[in-house]
Parts: sequence; C-alpha cells; structure tokens
Amino acid sequence: MKGELKPEARRADPEMRLSGAKPGELKPEARRADPEPQTLAATIEITTWVTKYVGGDGSGTRIFEEPFAPGETVRDVLRRYTRRIPDLDAALWSPDGTDLGAHIEVLVNDAVLGVAHDLDTELQGGERITLLGQFMGG
Amino acid sequence: MSPTSTIERSKKKPAEAAVTSFAYAGKLLRVNLSTGKIWNQPWGQDEMRECLGGIGLGARILYDEVGPKVHWDHPDNRLILATGPLAGLPVWGTGGLTVVTRGALTNGATSTQANGFFGASLKYSGYDAIVIQGQAKKLSYLYINDDVVEIRDAAHLAGKDTWETQQALDAEHGLSGHRMSVYSIGPAGENLVRFAAIEGDYGHVASKNGCGAVMGKKKLKAVCIVRGTKALSAHDTRGLIQAADEIAHDLKTDPSTSTLYNWGTLPGVTNLYKLGALPIKNYTTNVTAVNMDDWTHTKLRAGFDHRGHQCNACGMHHCHIQVIPSGPHQGELVDEPEYEGWSGAGWTIGLTEKEAVSWLNTRLDRACVDVNEWGWLCGWVMECMEKGYITEKQLGFRLNWGDVEGAYRLLQMVSHREGFGDVLAEGVKRASEKVGGEAAKCAVYTMKGASPRGHDHRGRWDEMLDTCTSSNGTMESANPTFQTEIGLPGRINPFDGEQVAKLTGGILGRRHFEDSLGGCSFTFRARIELLARALSAATGWNYKLDDAMLLGRRTAAILRAFNLRCGIGPELEFPSARYGSQPVDGPAKEHHVMKQWEHMVDVWYETVGYDRKTGKPKPATLKKLGLDWLAKDLWRK
Repeated sequence: MKGELKPEARRADPEMRLSGAKPGELKPEARRADPEPQTLAATIEITTWVTKYVGGDGSGTRIFEEPFAPGETVRDVLRRYTRRIPDLDAALWSPDGTDLGAHIEVLVNDAVLGVAHDLDTELQGGERITLLGQFMGG
Repeated sequence: MSPTSTIERSKKKPAEAAVTSFAYAGKLLRVNLSTGKIWNQPWGQDEMRECLGGIGLGARILYDEVGPKVHWDHPDNRLILATGPLAGLPVWGTGGLTVVTRGALTNGATSTQANGFFGASLKYSGYDAIVIQGQAKKLSYLYINDDVVEIRDAAHLAGKDTWETQQALDAEHGLSGHRMSVYSIGPAGENLVRFAAIEGDYGHVASKNGCGAVMGKKKLKAVCIVRGTKALSAHDTRGLIQAADEIAHDLKTDPSTSTLYNWGTLPGVTNLYKLGALPIKNYTTNVTAVNMDDWTHTKLRAGFDHRGHQCNACGMHHCHIQVIPSGPHQGELVDEPEYEGWSGAGWTIGLTEKEAVSWLNTRLDRACVDVNEWGWLCGWVMECMEKGYITEKQLGFRLNWGDVEGAYRLLQMVSHREGFGDVLAEGVKRASEKVGGEAAKCAVYTMKGASPRGHDHRGRWDEMLDTCTSSNGTMESANPTFQTEIGLPGRINPFDGEQVAKLTGGILGRRHFEDSLGGCSFTFRARIELLARALSAATGWNYKLDDAMLLGRRTAAILRAFNLRCGIGPELEFPSARYGSQPVDGPAKEHHVMKQWEHMVDVWYETVGYDRKTGKPKPATLKKLGLDWLAKDLWRK
C-alpha cells in the first residue's frame, strides 16, 4: 500500500521524530496549488556509512518517512529532509547545493537515479528513496 | 639479450652510474635464473621521471625486453617485482609491490599489486625493483640481505603452501615479523595452474593473470628479503609529511573513504547487493533469502576474534588476522577476507557460512590461487553439476552449491592438477571451452581470458567495460575515485552505455599513476593532487595533476602496444555469454549490457584516443603523451 511503512520502519518511529520531520508542512507553492492538499509520503532508507549522519553506527539501515505535497520531486523531498541534518546535507549535495555530490548513491525503488527517476521526477507517494554510501575498494 | 627479445629500443645509451636521487634507491636488481648471474643495473633520473616505478617501470621493461614469441612460460619472460618512489617513505601503505609480467591466463601483459612490507624492505636494501629472467634448473628461492643476493636451493620448500613457506624461511633465517618479507608460490604455482598467484606476508596477494604460474615456470619458489639497512631520503621531508598527513586526513574523514579507513573492503557485501552487483551462485541470481543485515561490515568483523595486521607505515584499520571461532576449523588463524574473498570464496559458490568462507579464503591464499578466478571456476562446476552438464563420474565426486569441504577437495585437485582438476587448472575459459555444450554457456570470463573481479558486472557496466578493454589482465582503471577532480561527472546513469564509456575512458591513467608510486591502492584512494604533491616532495621534481594523468596514460598506452604485439586486440574485447547476460532478477534485471555493448566500446575508444579498428593508440594520442618512439613502432608501414 502506498505510503505504508514496513513493520521495521514502524519500530523506527522514534528516529523519525528525531529527524525533525514535520508531517503536513508544505511548501507555499503547494499550498497555493491545493487548498486542501493531500499528504503523501515517501520512505527514506538510510543505509551503510550514511547511517552515521542519523544516529547509526555506519552499518545497517535506518528508515524514515518524509511527507510531501503533490507535485514535489525527488529533489524537493531530499533537499527538505537533509536540510534538517547539516552533515548529511553537506555529504549528499555538491557544495553549491544544486546537484548531488559524488559519494552517496540515490536509489528510488531499488533503481539508481537516472534509470526510472531523476532528481526532478515528481513523486507519486509510496516510493522508497535509498541513500547508499559509495563503496570503495576491491 | 635473447634472440626472441625486442631489440629496437635498446640502442639507447645505458644509464649512467646512478646519480643519487631522492626517494629512489637508484638501481635495479637483475637476476638470471638460467645462468645464476646476478647484477645491479643503475637507472638514471630521466628514466625515473618518465616511468616513476611500479607498473610504469614494469611496462617499459616488459615492452623493451619481452618479444612477441616470448610467451608466458618462456624462460625469457620477465617477472618484475617493482616498488616506486614513495615505497619505504612515511606515507601510509608504502610497502607496496607491483608484479608485472606476461601472464598465463591472457598470455599478455599483467600488472597486479600486493602490499605488506616487501616494497619497503626492497628499497631499504638498495633496489627499486627486481627483474627476474631465465628458468632455474631446480626449485630455488631468492635471498636478499642488503648486498648479499643469492639463488638458493628450495627443495625443502617443495609442496609447501605459502604460509608454510614463509614459516620455514622465517625459522631458517631466525627472522620473523617485519624483519623479513617473503613472497612465494604454493602448490598451484609449482604446478603451473594458470590462475596461480604470488602471496606474501601472510595474506597479501598479487593475484591476477597467473603471475604465480610464471614464477612456478621459472622454478622460483620464493623471494625473501631481510629488511634492509640502506638510507632513503625525501627531497623535502616536511612537505612529504604534510602531504602524507593530508592524504591520511582525507582517508579518515572523507565520507566515502572513511569506511575504507575503518573497515577496509568489508562494506562491499551489503553495498553491492543493494546495487545488484554481488555475484551469487555464478551469476544465476542476484537475490537471496539470507538476512543481509547479518552481513554488514560490523558483523563480519565482530564475528571473529581479530587483530590489526597493518602493512608498512599504514594507519588504516583495513587488514586483519582473525581466528575461526567455531566449527571443524575452530582455532585456525586466517586472514580476514577482503570483499573479494567473501565474494569468490563465498557468495559466488553459494557458500554463506561465514566461518567456512573465511577458512576457504585463506586456504586459497595458501595454495596461491586467485580467489576471483576460483569463484568463477568453482561456481561454474557447481552449476554444471546441478544441471547435469558435468557429471559426478567426470569430477570424481558430487559438488553442490555451498559445499565447503567439496570446494576444498576441488582446490586440492586443481592445485595438484589431479584428475579433472588438470582441465580446471587451465582456468574457467579454457575448461569450459573444452567441456563445451551447454556447460560452455555458463562460464564467466572475458574473451581475452582474464578473470573478472568478484562483482556482478551486469550491475556495474563500467567495470565490465574496463575488464574487457584493459591491457593488464584485470581492471586497469578500476572504479572512479574523486573523478570530479579531473573534470568528470560525480555520478552517471550506470546503465547508459555512453555515459559509462565516457567515464571509464576518462579515468584511464589514474590507476596506472597510483600503481607507479609504490603504495597501496587503498591508501592511495586520495585526490590525485595530493598524491602528486607527495611525489613532488619525495623526489624534488614538480608533478601536478595533469602530469600524473599523462604519466598514467602513457603507461596504459605502452601496455596496450605490448598486448597488440602479442596478438591481443579489439576482436577479443567482449564478455563471455554468461558474463554479458541479462540478470534474471535483482536491481539490474531490466538491463542487458550487450544491447549497448558495441556503442559503449566505440565511445570508449573515442574517449581514450585509440583506433577502434586496430586497437592502437592513435598517432596524435601518442604524440600528446610524448610517446613518439612508440608511434614509430606501432604505425610504421
């Protein structure tokens, strides 16, 4: 079901609160576009060394839910999410914040960006966005 | 010089007696095993500046001295054990050793790196490289203790595995630990298994393209070197240490390299699984019912009693020695597998019991078998047996997925060329071609005969392209590292052939530069600008990023020219049917690399400036690289 978290994600609920997520907070444009906006959500899966930025030990997986408004893109959701976590923000984006940096792979529904989605693809709700640390070494 | 050698370029004046050069020992140690002659060859500053060391030096010697008729098993083939200018200096991981030779799997150029202490010890003994030619009449080992260099009888070491050989030589010389470095071959090398490796310092392996078979053919069991006593100095010690500090700082703090610093290559298992690039059961699937949370790097390390096993001057938490905690091999000391160990000795053959994988991985090292080729070979046999393409009668026993004892039995058969093991010892390409039929369609290899690394490259097209087009018997460019530094995109669509080819071609040369310095490819996963600064401070010569890339691309072009002369050209640059197949499941299942292969190769050729039809670097490319002499060789009418 769209937007539904897996059981393990539900267990991670305290972390979701720690992440500062504010369900229902919408961008002004979204408010203008839809006076009674439908709240959609994507799952953000943080894995490998990237978990260090969200209270993990650099391994395993942390799962969060990020609400968004209709019309928002992968970029919008990720920008808003990482802005609350400055170290992750610096690691994920290029210094000027306009593009992704080189060291974290972004997957949407298990496919790397560039295949079925890119940063400016509109989300439909229920997607799983994975941040996967680049692996270096043989 | 042998009549079969290449002689055109030897008209150059011999190097003058070495002028003292910072960071270099100033001479090469030459050994002719056929005649027993041992001599020093000084090399001059011009050559040092041009070749640096490691693969750069090795490529030049190979091109100059190994002619097309000198096949991998010919006595005139050279086995070059080279260090580089940073070896032995206070930069992390600078005990590196690069082995360059004409290898047994492709019968073409080989460059493969290992670490430990050998490179530093060699420099402290007064040599920048050892160049071995000829073939001993009986099994021998080379002993080096500063100026004492002797070819000694190794009859007492015959049949010993690599760890036993090191232990025996340690005991014989009353030296242990870091006081003596030993690189040797095990039974697979002695028996000329085509994918035999050279292993040293308990767990470090120069594994590619059958360099251990070359050593076996020369009847050279081991090279042991006492840590030397000669001075080695940098031109600008303060500058070198500043650059080394910055490299170390980057390794520790950069988000991507800090996992390498802390955990080595262990995170690869779960990371690559996410991308559909963990090879499972010989490429038959990319999904597993195994709980991958149990395969994170923290759990892989924590599952064993372990101790750091750092190489020369290294501050990384990468290499570890561990103890098997339970099961039939409880208490055995083993080397913590690299990612490729978990893959080749584990996932590729359907083995997911960690203690068993770790044990088998070290057994492969001790036999001196390349773990990657092993994975493709053993996995292929297992799949063929499951499908009835190879019978129990043919092999001599039943071998099922994940059967560690059976895999070990197979290893013994291959290492000693017993029964069907004799066919398998030729490597998976030749073995599958010999068996033929449906079995041949299941084998993972490149048409050049080289082994792919332990990944499922159907989810990593850049590495497949690199593996198939490379000239050194393995990936020559490897994965992109800080590629934005040279103006390439930080990320691409990994299934867009054009983007893949531009990136893979664009990074050509970086790895060759790294491998010329005498350090570890893991500690040198730093920005090239920093490596060039360290090199400049060490030598007193001024290298910048552009110089580094030019030097690397120059070496790549020389190796390619060598291979073309050996008859290895673009007609062999594609994957086997299984290697280039479409995954049946997992994250990469929608993507079939062969649909874009031809275009991808075209773009790669365009990017690197090589001629698509002949495979030769174009005259303009060679001119830009300062290789006019090579252009004359390659393009003369």
